[in-house]
Amino acid sequence: MASLRPVTLAKSRMLPLGEPWKALVPGGGLRRGATVVVEASPGFGGLSLALSLLTASSANGHWAGVVGVDDPGVVAMAELGMDLRRVLFVPRPRGAWAESVADLLDGVDLVVVRPPSRASHGVARKIMDRVRERGTVLIVLSEPHASWPLPPDLCFAITEARWATSSRLDARYLNVRVSGRGEAGRASEHVVILPNRKGRAAAT
Amino acid sequence: MERLLAIWVGELSREKPDGSTLRDSLALLDALCVFCPFAEIVRLGLYVLPVRGPSRFFGGEEKVVAMASDTVHDVTGYEARVGIADGLFCAELAAREQRVLAPGATASFRRAQSLEVLGRKDLTTTCRRLGLYTLGSFADVAPARVGERFNKHALELHRVARGEVGELAGQRDLRLAQRLRNLRGEHEQGSEQLGFFGQRGAGDDRAFAAAHRVRRRLGADALLVASLQGGRVPEDRATLVPWGSPLVESRDRAPWPGQIRAPSPATTLLHPVVVQLRDANDAPVLFDARGVLSAEPTTLLLTHYARRTILWHAGPWPLVERWWSRGRRRAHLQVVLALGEAVLLVAESGRWWLVGIYD
Repeated sequence: MASLRPVTLAKSRMLPLGEPWKALVPGGGLRRGATVVVEASPGFGGLSLALSLLTASSANGHWAGVVGVDDPGVVAMAELGMDLRRVLFVPRPRGAWAESVADLLDGVDLVVVRPPSRASHGVARKIMDRVRERGTVLIVLSEPHASWPLPPDLCFAITEARWATSSRLDARYLNVRVSGRGEAGRASEHVVILPNRKGRAAAT
Repeated sequence: MERLLAIWVGELSREKPDGSTLRDSLALLDALCVFCPFAEIVRLGLYVLPVRGPSRFFGGEEKVVAMASDTVHDVTGYEARVGIADGLFCAELAAREQRVLAPGATASFRRAQSLEVLGRKDLTTTCRRLGLYTLGSFADVAPARVGERFNKHALELHRVARGEVGELAGQRDLRLAQRLRNLRGEHEQGSEQLGFFGQRGAGDDRAFAAAHRVRRRLGADALLVASLQGGRVPEDRATLVPWGSPLVESRDRAPWPGQIRAPSPATTLLHPVVVQLRDANDAPVLFDARGVLSAEPTTLLLTHYARRTILWHAGPWPLVERWWSRGRRRAHLQVVLALGEAVLLVAESGRWWLVGIYD
């Protein structure tokens, strides 16, 4: 059954993205209702990338939820430029991660989730329907061998990570393959700096 | 669970029509904060403070207990009931019984309580008919069986009974902190929990409602909010507190010499993991008293089987703080591993700990 909903402007259907993603993603933002998958092996910057997608929205006053990330690096998030006052954390959802995500989707604009176990087809379908219905953005952190069972609207895959060092860790260069559906159909590969010396994301 | 000293003042738990209750509560809270800055008011009549620090400072828990009851008597003239236990739920019960539980005795104390302390009459009645009279016998029922028979509120109570969750869902009065602040005349922006910065909009209300739903589903301490405070290393600077607990607004802009600079690890382990560093001859690498490493580390042992080659390291950066306590000597080391991951290690009390992953 079709439901009526208020007319929204194209601009308000987009959540802003910061540097360097603005230039790499079609439309320059995250479309509301979209599911984004960030694919990386553990320790290769997947979490940093997912959080960096939140920063511009968070700084603009949007609420965000972070589910299933056991030990979030709060300092790193602040360095990325997030407004921590509008971030809700559910670090250990104890098997109810899908329900927690569904609860949060009703109230916040972006949700980052690292599923503690592989999501089943049915659960993924339900969550993505909910995301579309509520007009939020879901960012799923997945590992290459336990990927999200359904094709996402946008996918960031980290293929390589290199650290630049001086007397300390300076910056990390990430090779990121951006692909997706529709406008983002053609995959493209980019090198971004995440984090740089200030802990932020930057273009090379 | 944190060891807490709870103070129960029955006379302050019911609000009198003349408004004196709030004023007395505030005066008492201020007096308690003098000897423990982390004292907080949970709801009217119930105060709680982490007891570990004060007991070490004043020389024993009995002294802190005596000081607490003296303070209540001096400030309000009422008699206080004081108790010590782990976690807010048991601390309140201990206070009502005026008992100081020895470390480790909280579990048996909780198990011996009658079911009425959970505050749900329906649950108590049903459990009685099932032959369950104490929290312990209720806790022994498998969670799945509880879920079959009761609703999800009972599951929450079951977690409390098992000691997995430290406080009851309704134990805190979430509005009280704000009321006291209003009474004190503080209307400063941004001091309210979750920072509603005066311009609380529809988005904030929606987030609030969602947060309540998650809390109801997973328990009071599953939903956290973050704040930053002063400190030198990431694990000291970040605090995650349960949503709804009074937030200490820190405006710490002081310089912290020796602060580990950005970038910080995106994963900061709440409970650091012991790891080992080995040199080329497979001998342990130590951080010695002069602040240098005993040898060049070449291998990181996460467990016995997970050995990772070290490509590069920076540090150690010793932290000079609390030099009077020997175990506090800490130093940080940044390490890049063979495949390209980077981790942050800390040397403390003669061992290496994994504290952060640059994920």
